[in-house]
This record gives sequence, structure tokens and C-alpha cells, in this order.
Amino acid sequence: MRARVVVTGLGVVSPIGIGISDFWKAALAGQSGISAITSFDPIPMDGYRSKVAGQVRDFAVERFIDSVHGERVDRYAQFGLVAAKEALADSGLQMAKENPHRVGVIVGAGMGGMVMGEREITQLYQQQKPHRVHPNFIPVITLNSASGIIAMAHGAKGPNLTISTACSSSAHALGQALHCIREGRADVVIVVGADASITPLVFAGFCSLRALSSKYNDNPEKASRPFDRLRDGFVMGEGAGTLILESAAHAKKRKARVYAEVAGYAATSEAYHMVIPREDGLEVAHTMKLALADAGLTPSQVDYINAHATSTTIGDAVEVKAIRQLFKSRADKIAVSATKSLIGHTLGAAGAIGGIASVLALHTGKIHPTANYDDPDPACALAGLSRSAQERRVKVAMLNAFGFGSNNAAVVFKQAAK
Amino acid sequence: MNQINKTNQITAFYENDGENREMATDPTISLKIRTALAEYLKRDPERILVTQHLRDDLGLDSMAVIELLYRIEEAFDLQIPDQDLVGLTTVGHVVSYVEKRLEKSASSAPIKKPIKSMKPAKPAKQSKPKSKKKS
Repeated sequence: MRARVVVTGLGVVSPIGIGISDFWKAALAGQSGISAITSFDPIPMDGYRSKVAGQVRDFAVERFIDSVHGERVDRYAQFGLVAAKEALADSGLQMAKENPHRVGVIVGAGMGGMVMGEREITQLYQQQKPHRVHPNFIPVITLNSASGIIAMAHGAKGPNLTISTACSSSAHALGQALHCIREGRADVVIVVGADASITPLVFAGFCSLRALSSKYNDNPEKASRPFDRLRDGFVMGEGAGTLILESAAHAKKRKARVYAEVAGYAATSEAYHMVIPREDGLEVAHTMKLALADAGLTPSQVDYINAHATSTTIGDAVEVKAIRQLFKSRADKIAVSATKSLIGHTLGAAGAIGGIASVLALHTGKIHPTANYDDPDPACALAGLSRSAQERRVKVAMLNAFGFGSNNAAVVFKQAAK
Repeated sequence: MNQINKTNQITAFYENDGENREMATDPTISLKIRTALAEYLKRDPERILVTQHLRDDLGLDSMAVIELLYRIEEAFDLQIPDQDLVGLTTVGHVVSYVEKRLEKSASSAPIKKPIKSMKPAKPAKQSKPKSKKKS
């Protein structure tokens, strides 16, 4: 029998709070972490169509990490280090007592070290001094800098991987960690999603894609509004989430507190378009179905969906279409919420932070509000969506995540057997 | 061939100028370099001595040495070729090397820039919305 996998620790860095306790309190209150970007100094904001983002305020890595690790990596990896540290402490796992080769790290990151990346590229082209490129440029922008540094910080010598599938990166990281533990290749995997690329070039790129909201620049908290009739694009966010996954047997042996079980996962490609989802929703529905089958569950058992819901016109409608296809009459009985309504789209971190919201829904019986769901779009209205927090018993939760490059992920969590 | 000659010259440079020269180091250059190191190692500059070995005494790994030299290149407007790295193993070596290079380039070239922190990136500054000032 394949090993069951459970979640035993959580950690987060988000625009609505650093640390699970602050994050969850703010999330249940429907607090928005979206604010105006005042400047990409020295580039004025005038040229940017969108001027709002879910920014992590007042973050200084040295407040959390007392070692050289934090200084050698970019902002996204610093977020990852901080979230991983919290999650490990939360799990009660003591590395000194573990076989380090049985503890892995799997990180999902979409953009990686763009802060230093953009700075160094700019300087090289402006000053034309190749010898002045920073020696840390390569190790910092290499996309696995976070998974590397997190393993070093904790002495985790098991599988060390980075999954980069754009906006679904850390949902796939969760899935790959599930496989890794199921197959017996590790007892514990530190799963991290992290991105911090609210940077002049990346932000401009998303503006040029016409992917970002631009109608709410004067009212930032209203900009991220998944499923609402007046949504007009996603809002970029930044942050990191960490979930400690371990085999149920390992968790039991060390008497760990268990939040939930990671029961199933599916990964598919629509093989359709780099940035546009298939409008019929068939592939999304298929992905959710596969994940449920992997969990040995049926659509009738799902109580909560943490939707991908980025607040784009097409994306949200396709997701609801897919939910209706798969869940049929149950679609309106399932509680649904969009974490991105609160913190924006944190790209590579989105799957992990959505996963945390799913796990906390199972664990606490509370579902955070979908902010700005003021005027339900008939094309994507679901009875289980609400501007207010909901309380209900959640036995099975589904996390959806879709990424550029036409890829889909779905992860199923369920209440852990007592 | 040139390479070999150069290496020999450098070895000779350290053999001749090693210990004795450290006594005669330029206090400004020495202080700047020791301050940069102290900042990186989070300790008092007073506790950084020219006799200390970068790796064995100060615990700098090879990457940290490269970071230090990068900052020194900037602060003293130098380019340190790869073949010169071999001899730079103590604080004193680095100080003498910089002095020698500065003497060579222009008899009294002024030192323009202070040594910046060795920390690789200050990410928060760049994307922080409210930082109007240059970091």
C-alpha cells in the first residue's frame, strides 16, 4: 500500500501578513493586501497601465533569518526561507533527530531572482562593464536558488527540486512532493512556493500582455475581484507559502499535529495556447476529475474549492464552467473562495498559499471571503462564493492552479483519519 | 607563456613584500578593506587584523572572497585579473596588493568611492514602492 501523506506544518509571507496567524486572521476578515505602487524608481508610474499590486510591506530578511543564507539570495528566496522556517517550527520537526537524506525540499517558483536580475542587466547595458556584473548574479538568478538555500539552512539532504510552471508552480510542487513521499523516496518534504517579481521589467511585461487590472488604480483594494462582473484582469502579488508534507506513519511516530491529508493530485496540459485557457473548460474539468480519482474520491464528496480565480475575464469564467461540468448539481453546494482576491496573484507562490487556505479550511471549518465579489458575473456565479467568511464542515478540499504554457494542476486535501 | 611569467612575477611580489610590507600599509586603504570585512562578518573592524587568513581565520569561503574582491574592485577602481587571485589569502595580502596596484596606475590616484557593503543584493529597496531615494 502506498504511503499516505499529511500536512504537519504551515508558514507564509504574504501581503496581508507574515506568519500564519496574522495571515489567517486577515484572510477571514476579508482584508485586502492590494495597494498602489508609488514608484519603480527612477521609472515613473505614468507609463504603466496598472499601478497596483499585492506587496509585502516592511520585509527585512535579517529580522527572521540570522545567518548568511538570507543575504546571498534574492527577495523571492528570502520569502521562501522565512516561510520554511515558520513551517518547520510549526511542524515540531527537529532536523537533529531526522535522517537528513529523508528530508527533501521542493520549491515552486515562476520568475525567481528578478530583483537582482533586472538590476544587473540594466547596469551591464548602461555601463558596458562586464567585469562589474555581480559575482552572485548567476547563483541568485538560477531558478533553484530558493530550493538550494532552504536545504542548506536546515540540512535537508533529500530530493531537492524546483518546479517552474508559471502560476501553478507550487501546486505542482505539492503534487511532486506527494509522489515523492508516496513512493518512499522521502519521509518529509518541505514544499515551498515563492515569487517576488513586482519589478520594473516583469511588471511592465504583464502590463504589455494586457493581463493586469488597470481600472482600479485609484482604488487598489477593489482591483482584485475574481468572479465579479466588473473584474478586468489580475493584480500581481508577491509572497511565499510553505507546507511540511510527511508520511502519515512518520508523523504518527513523532506524534505530530496533523492539519490534513494530501490525498490526490493531477497534472495535465491543454496543449492549446501559451496564455489563453481553452474556453470550453473541458481540460480543467478533466484535471479536477483525475485528482479526485487519484484521491479515491468522487465529485460528490468535495466541500470546498480554493479556486485559481485570478480575476481575468476569461480565466474565471472557464474555471466555473469546468466546475459546473464536473460537479453538476453539486456545484452550487460547494463552498468556493479566491485567495487572490485578498493578496493578488503571487505567481509561483499562489499554489502554496492557496494550499494553506485549503488546509486551514479543513482544519478550522472556516472559509475566507472572496473580496469584491460585489456583483456576481452570471457567467461565473456560484452559490458557494461569498464576500463574507463562511463556516462549514469541510471534509474534502480541492486546490486548482493553472499556468501559462497551457498547464493545469489540481490537488485534493481531506481531513486526516483520526 | 605570458601567463607563466606573470604568475612568477606575482609569486615574487608576495615573497618580497609579504610580512614586512604589512607594517607599512597605507592606513586608509587598510582601514577601508578591514571595515568592509568587518561589516560582512558582523564584527568590530578592530578585530580584523592584516595578519589574518581570509579562509582559515575569518572563515570566508571562496565565494565570499570573490564577493570581497568585487567590492574592492569597485571601491578602488581596479580590475583584478584571475591570475592575481592566487596570492590573495590574507587581509595583508589584499591590502598590499591594492596599494601596489594603486601606486602603479597613477602615482597618487585618489580613492573615489567608499567600499559598499558586501551583501549581494538589497532587493527590498528596489521594488519597495515608497523608496524615492536611490539606494
